[in-house]
Amino acid sequence: MDPAPPVPSPHPDGPLAGYRVLDFADEKGQFCARFLAELGADVIKVEPREGDPTRRNGPFFRGEEGPETSLYWWAMNAGKRSVTCELRLEPGRALAARLAENADIVIETNVPGQAAKYGLDYDTLSARNPALIVVSITNFGQTGPYRHLLATDIVGSAMGGQMHLNGDDERGPLRTTAPQAYAQANVQAAVGATVALYARGVNGGIGQHVDVSMQEAMANAMDNAQQTWDLRHVNVRGPGMRRMIAGDPGPQYLFEARDGWITALQAGGLFGPNAGPIIDWLSEAGEARGLDSPEWREKLTAMSVAATGDLDYVEETMALFCKSRMKEELVAEAQRRGAGWAPVFSPREIVESKHLADRDFWVRVHHEDIGESFIYPGPPFRSNATPWKQRGRAPRVGEHNEQVYGELLGIDSAELRRLRTRMVI
Amino acid sequence: MTALPLKKPFAGLRVADLAWVGVGPSVSKYLADHGAEVIRVESGTYPDPLRRVGPFLNDTPGPENSGYYANFNSSKLGITLNLKHPRGPELLKRLVARCDVVTESFTPGTMARFGVDYESLRQVRPDLVMISMPLFASSGPWSRYMGYGHVLQAATGYNHLTGWPDGPPIGTGIAYTDFFVPHIAAAVLVAALDYRRRTGRGQLIDFSQMEAALQGLGTAIIDWTANAHEQSRLGNRDPEAAPHGCYRCKDGRWIVIACFTEEQWAGLKAALGRPDWCDLERMRRKWQRLNEQKEIDRHLAAWVEDMTRREADAAEEPVEGAEGVTIRRFTTYELMHWMQQHGVPCGVVQSAEEMHNDPQLVHRGHYWRLRHPVLGEHTYDGPAFRLSRTPAELTKAAPMLGEDNEYVYRQVLGLAEEEFIDLLVDGAFE
Repeated sequence: MDPAPPVPSPHPDGPLAGYRVLDFADEKGQFCARFLAELGADVIKVEPREGDPTRRNGPFFRGEEGPETSLYWWAMNAGKRSVTCELRLEPGRALAARLAENADIVIETNVPGQAAKYGLDYDTLSARNPALIVVSITNFGQTGPYRHLLATDIVGSAMGGQMHLNGDDERGPLRTTAPQAYAQANVQAAVGATVALYARGVNGGIGQHVDVSMQEAMANAMDNAQQTWDLRHVNVRGPGMRRMIAGDPGPQYLFEARDGWITALQAGGLFGPNAGPIIDWLSEAGEARGLDSPEWREKLTAMSVAATGDLDYVEETMALFCKSRMKEELVAEAQRRGAGWAPVFSPREIVESKHLADRDFWVRVHHEDIGESFIYPGPPFRSNATPWKQRGRAPRVGEHNEQVYGELLGIDSAELRRLRTRMVI
Repeated sequence: MTALPLKKPFAGLRVADLAWVGVGPSVSKYLADHGAEVIRVESGTYPDPLRRVGPFLNDTPGPENSGYYANFNSSKLGITLNLKHPRGPELLKRLVARCDVVTESFTPGTMARFGVDYESLRQVRPDLVMISMPLFASSGPWSRYMGYGHVLQAATGYNHLTGWPDGPPIGTGIAYTDFFVPHIAAAVLVAALDYRRRTGRGQLIDFSQMEAALQGLGTAIIDWTANAHEQSRLGNRDPEAAPHGCYRCKDGRWIVIACFTEEQWAGLKAALGRPDWCDLERMRRKWQRLNEQKEIDRHLAAWVEDMTRREADAAEEPVEGAEGVTIRRFTTYELMHWMQQHGVPCGVVQSAEEMHNDPQLVHRGHYWRLRHPVLGEHTYDGPAFRLSRTPAELTKAAPMLGEDNEYVYRQVLGLAEEEFIDLLVDGAFE
């Protein structure tokens, strides 16, 4: 008998400790399941024998492709257990059904109709376990004319409208390179899952089906674009370096500093009721270019810079001021003067952030198989009662077969061997 | 088994919602839309700043005219309370004593200044679940920094990862983190409520908008910490798909096409009618196509432009010089379905107007129309999920400022009429 796997570490203090989650999900649900693990749930990732298809998602550790080196896999599946289970074979489906009898939540992302083929649909599963919550995360939802349409992240971003708000007039709509339709589907599914758990608790233990649409998740990330259409009949579109204000491009909010970029709404605060301290700052540096005159001060504070040429001059003044200064210096001084500026940070700068270091935000995750530890993102919240916890690296393919099938389903090692020989696990 | 109607999940829970702007109200909206009695507590003098941000009815600013504010506050009650009034903090405590949840998103220290921080509030309500959601964090060098979702997206990598590779980090064009962070906060809050349901224990959830936003960057953090590779913005490209882009149709709309697998690429070739360039040796494998994206994009952009038409144009057009031969062109949505029929992930970049009329969203009932006394009937976002037995119900439009003062102060707090009027006259609700 192999020693017990070193991961995941227990999390008995998590708010969801004691619940069990089965994760059959692709990109639309793995992060949701991981998050539930960080809140204390026992999350079991169910993979086909050759490993989950997303183990082929890049990037790869040191660029070396393999089932245990996908950084996508590491990031989205940390803290879960892994079992293999061949759903294309009848005995595999029977195993999955037994696992589901012992679970509180099943997360699946099959195209509507497909789950029934594997016996993973809500009707089949709930007949055997009425307390079960099945979270189905699909491109467009379980019902409706588009339910069968194919989608990846960019299709979700497009059909979900959010992409229409990104980009600029010249080059068109734009996606965020880190996939946000997937991210949104995951986090909104997590809300659906926890609400269903709570509903079960107050309704005598009756579970239900949670039908999540990636398109709708992205639609909810359109800021006020729906209301702007509804009230003004204006279609919000990508403003580039500007900020959209109810569908109208506002002043520039992005400026280049000597070492990168900063964001500073309302042309760095030069434009609006609190312009005074920012004008003073430029004036003290001798770089106000006349904006510190009483007339300009009045115009800027009252936001009555009507002529476009005037706004251009204001923005240009701010751009010149920023160009010769370091971004963190700029942000610190602007904040001191009461303006909500922030630096544009790259992943590296985020990891090196003094603020986050001071917060002790990052966690080091040990990969004993590689003999190294790596920094992972830390908690989104702190709590003395039910804290968040990172529970170790992502599992290897089928790493917890013995543990899960043995302890949970009481399958002995002879039976496990038989299942292996029959290529079920 | 389905016969018995189930209780709404949060029926019987009362929430004092002191949060403002985008993040906090979106969190309590989930509770309100699923049955909780959520009471927005606003200052009458300095109400939620979103009331002053458009879109406004008839483009006229006014505290009850903002669709932006309204959308985040469906199904809620609204009261005004002047925390600077000598009796303000006491009134809040009396309310909290009758609440299960408090939400707030002020700059750290604000609640303590009025003597209504978690430690004080739990004296009056020991099993209180309170969530504090400052922008950056409750501690650390940036804890007192100001800002909005627009600039938080910069500090958390979204700007860096949104833009064209040769251009500035333009970001999402919206206050993006305001539309990502609340979902994490809501899941955490509901999990804490479930813990309280089982154990009777309340708690303070010390939440950070910044640290929650950092959960949404996919592999960007670990690619840096494990590989020392810094991901950057790729326009509409993806490191793992070719083609992967956005193409302009004849009617000015844009369509996206993504091929991650060989099957999808084979489908795309068939959908395009197998033009010669598709079968070039250097297009055979995905890693090769990843190197040829520029050329693929050039061909695809030209094909999409050439093969699409405006809705009003004829679908069939005779080919010049070839008797009886016509060429069929697609409307933008026809092209989407044509690609989909060939197994190619494809979608239209939909505007807000198109979202309103999208047959799928209409079928799903995603948008709710609620009647507001000033705004009239108006669009609200619903949740992205349907619970089969206890679905969300947006029960009413956003509250007007102080709309429910009388109900909350008289019925919930049990103030006598005389006391209520005295407080009113004395400015406690201003």
